[in-house]
Amino acid sequence: MPHDPYKALYLHIPFCVKRCGYCDFATRAIDRDDPRIDEYVEQLVVDIRRFCKQGELSEIETVYIGGGTPSHIGLNRLSSLLYALSLSVDLTRDGLEFTMEANPESLTERMVLDIWAMGVNRLSLGVQSFDDEVLAILGRAHDAARAKEAIETARLRFDSVSIDLMCGVPGQSASSLEESVKTAVELGIPHVSMYPLTIEPHTAFDRAVLSGEMQEPDDDVEAEHMQIAAHILEEAGYSRYEVASYALPGYESKHNSSYWTGVPYLGIGQNATSMTQNSDRRMRVMNNEVIDDLDRRQMEAEDLMLGMRMSIGVSDERVAAAAEYLPEVYDVLNDLENEGFLVHDLSRWRPTTQGWLCGNDLYGRILDLAP
Amino acid sequence: MMDIERERGITIKSQAVRVNYTSDDGDTYEFNLIDTPGHVDFTYEVSRSLAACEGAVLVVDATQGVEAQTVANAMMAMNANLEIIPLINKIDLPASDPERAKEQIEDGLAIPADDAVLCSAKTGEGVHDLLEAIVYNIPAPQGDIDAPLRALIFDSYFDAYRGVVALIRVVDGSVKKGDTIYMMAAGTEALVEEVGARKPAEIALPDLSAGDVGYLVTGLKDVAQVKVGDTLTLSSRRAIEPLPGYRDVKPMVFTGLYPIEGDQYEPLKEALEKLALNDPALVWEPETSHALGFGFRVGFLGLLHMEVVEERLEREFGLNLLATAPSVEYHVLKKNGEMISLHSPQEMPDPSEIEHIEEPYLRVKVLVPPDYVGPVMDLTNSRRGTFVNMNYLSSTTVEVIWEMPLSEMIMDYFDRLKSSTKGYASLDYEMAGYRVSKLVKLDILLAGKPVDALSFIVHADNAYNRGSILARKLKEIIPRQMFEVPIQAAVGGRVLARTTVKAKRKDVLAKCYGGDITRKRKLLEKQKEGKKRMKAIGSVEVPQEAFMAILKVDE
Repeated sequence: MPHDPYKALYLHIPFCVKRCGYCDFATRAIDRDDPRIDEYVEQLVVDIRRFCKQGELSEIETVYIGGGTPSHIGLNRLSSLLYALSLSVDLTRDGLEFTMEANPESLTERMVLDIWAMGVNRLSLGVQSFDDEVLAILGRAHDAARAKEAIETARLRFDSVSIDLMCGVPGQSASSLEESVKTAVELGIPHVSMYPLTIEPHTAFDRAVLSGEMQEPDDDVEAEHMQIAAHILEEAGYSRYEVASYALPGYESKHNSSYWTGVPYLGIGQNATSMTQNSDRRMRVMNNEVIDDLDRRQMEAEDLMLGMRMSIGVSDERVAAAAEYLPEVYDVLNDLENEGFLVHDLSRWRPTTQGWLCGNDLYGRILDLAP
Repeated sequence: MMDIERERGITIKSQAVRVNYTSDDGDTYEFNLIDTPGHVDFTYEVSRSLAACEGAVLVVDATQGVEAQTVANAMMAMNANLEIIPLINKIDLPASDPERAKEQIEDGLAIPADDAVLCSAKTGEGVHDLLEAIVYNIPAPQGDIDAPLRALIFDSYFDAYRGVVALIRVVDGSVKKGDTIYMMAAGTEALVEEVGARKPAEIALPDLSAGDVGYLVTGLKDVAQVKVGDTLTLSSRRAIEPLPGYRDVKPMVFTGLYPIEGDQYEPLKEALEKLALNDPALVWEPETSHALGFGFRVGFLGLLHMEVVEERLEREFGLNLLATAPSVEYHVLKKNGEMISLHSPQEMPDPSEIEHIEEPYLRVKVLVPPDYVGPVMDLTNSRRGTFVNMNYLSSTTVEVIWEMPLSEMIMDYFDRLKSSTKGYASLDYEMAGYRVSKLVKLDILLAGKPVDALSFIVHADNAYNRGSILARKLKEIIPRQMFEVPIQAAVGGRVLARTTVKAKRKDVLAKCYGGDITRKRKLLEKQKEGKKRMKAIGSVEVPQEAFMAILKVDE
């Protein structure tokens, strides 16, 4: 279909040194020398060039290489990928954000120097915790010392570094979490993504919970952990710009924000999702399969829903535009405000902490505007 | 036609019609046509209709080719010594492949297909050829008009104004208004109030005689007195030998049906009674569940039959029902030598009293293109199926025969079969007797209390796996409540799997990038769906879907 230009590009690297107990992502643990990785990267390069020739990459403003573990595939393969990208996307565009994910165990100094030289300007590290016990429970391939080393190495070139941290891990105490968050602050990491552990079906953790070997994460504990993290980070000058994302001023992720603001994105690689839209229709496509096909009403409702993940919420103008398609929107927003999920001030509708903590209620009610 | 038949494009009840046709040879012929269902659940409808006929038109869909049910129905027609006219329908569709269908009819059914009629019921093309083929190939009814009356009852239904109406095929003799008839098996008598034919509107006739198909109004109030398969004769001049009847229909699948509102118990009972008037295959007995209150254990011929009845109860009688997962009839040999039949997991005796348990097995025939044999094998193996053999019916169709427990079949096997073969596989089955199996009753506990309506019987080797999947599914389906709801799957008090529906205070703040958004939408939709139809079990609100969750055991 004729569509609005893609602004965000995502490349998926579905390989890891090992699979963590909680992981349900599209990835597999294979040796870094495995020729299947070469084949996969070759295909990515072909696809990137093809999309470039079709003109789909001319307005890309953010690039994100995620996984899996992109650093696991090694510098040689990353180099060919980055080279193909440099030919296909204008990486020198003003304000272009180019993130690569890396795990502490496979990030090397050489890699940091080279990927920076080839255009990557933001590094996202899968740290998860600075507590060795928690890392062992999660089944991570690194320990806290290695995580700190990796951060230091990243700092050789990258100013914009993000780390992921997890809370609500069975066996993780509030003080362990507090320590990890404080460590991030002390190290001056400008962006932190903070997630409660989720037990996904078909993971090792899922089996452990079902058989009783592992305690299921507790909602109250998770909520408490999220509040502890919010308190420490906000105290230290971070803003919680999205329900699970904290940044020092100017370090918000543009790429991630595009998922929540109705910006079309192109995903390349296994299980990478693309969002293609025009003014009447929005589709999400994964592995050549349409997984969502929304009409304009549904698009409006979805944008409002996703907007409520962000602390700035949704502007009055945006709501007024949505109201053309969803006349009941004001009733629903007013109800949600009365119930304490939203506030309306400064010409914006924003989620409250309560709204964020009971996200499924909030999001579900908004999506119901256009089922 | 019932609404359900129109919506689903299927035939559930046989229909009979009489038409006059003037052939190319200038003569006018009277055709008595009976349309039959094709689905395996309604095999009995087919068999009794065939018994009333001289010939059969075997309809093969030109886009689908020969399906497993085509084979089964063709075999029945051959066994009944009927003349068979192969008809290839839907030739107007771009995807039709009449040559392939012909090849399959010859190779798979051993019926010569050179003269198969090519037809499109939609455009009318080939219909004339079919009518001519019926004139030339199907013999006129034989039968002795002067002999004592013998008529086969191939269907009956209750009409509120006229009493029980029987659809009959007269084999010998004749019957008219005012005759007193005698039902040879039931031993009951009735006065004939009217006879006639359906064209398709009912037209009263002076009489029905040997070779005719028509209806007969009895004035009887109880449809059970006019049993399908019975032979009618005249009280004053009884025939000596009844016509060959057919076996009684036995329900194969049982489910608990409970009204969501308690005051609908009596209306549900009345509705079942009314449906049963026209559906002799429907049987039920009252059942009480701690969780669900008063309801009925209802027996069906199969899952389609079950769905159709449930849908009719809701639509035609305005009932709001909760159905438990279907189960099959188990035979339990107790240590004291007593053999009992279970229609519900709730009736399972204490394990210490059980010598062994037997479960019904099926002989299953799957027709599938050769490329899909692998997936069918994988699926059927995972359902405790035992491979029997495999034949190539043609270069494009393989027949694979299995034996597998009926209980595995009703767990979504047909849908899984279709989806793992891109819709190409077709299925037919017949009962293959009872076998001893290592079965256990798996209990589901919500908030520490066993919920009888959620327990089910499962092979011991699958108990952990199925219990885990079900616990997880229930966790997805049961919406969050004001308090935490632990879910446990247990066998004989031993907990195999556990999980918890958390209290409705906080939600997981899962990441939400790219494809996560789609997952989030699906999750929210599912939760919304679950809230629609709930039943309070103790203090836990459980949606209807929870009771059927065990049927979807593959993920």
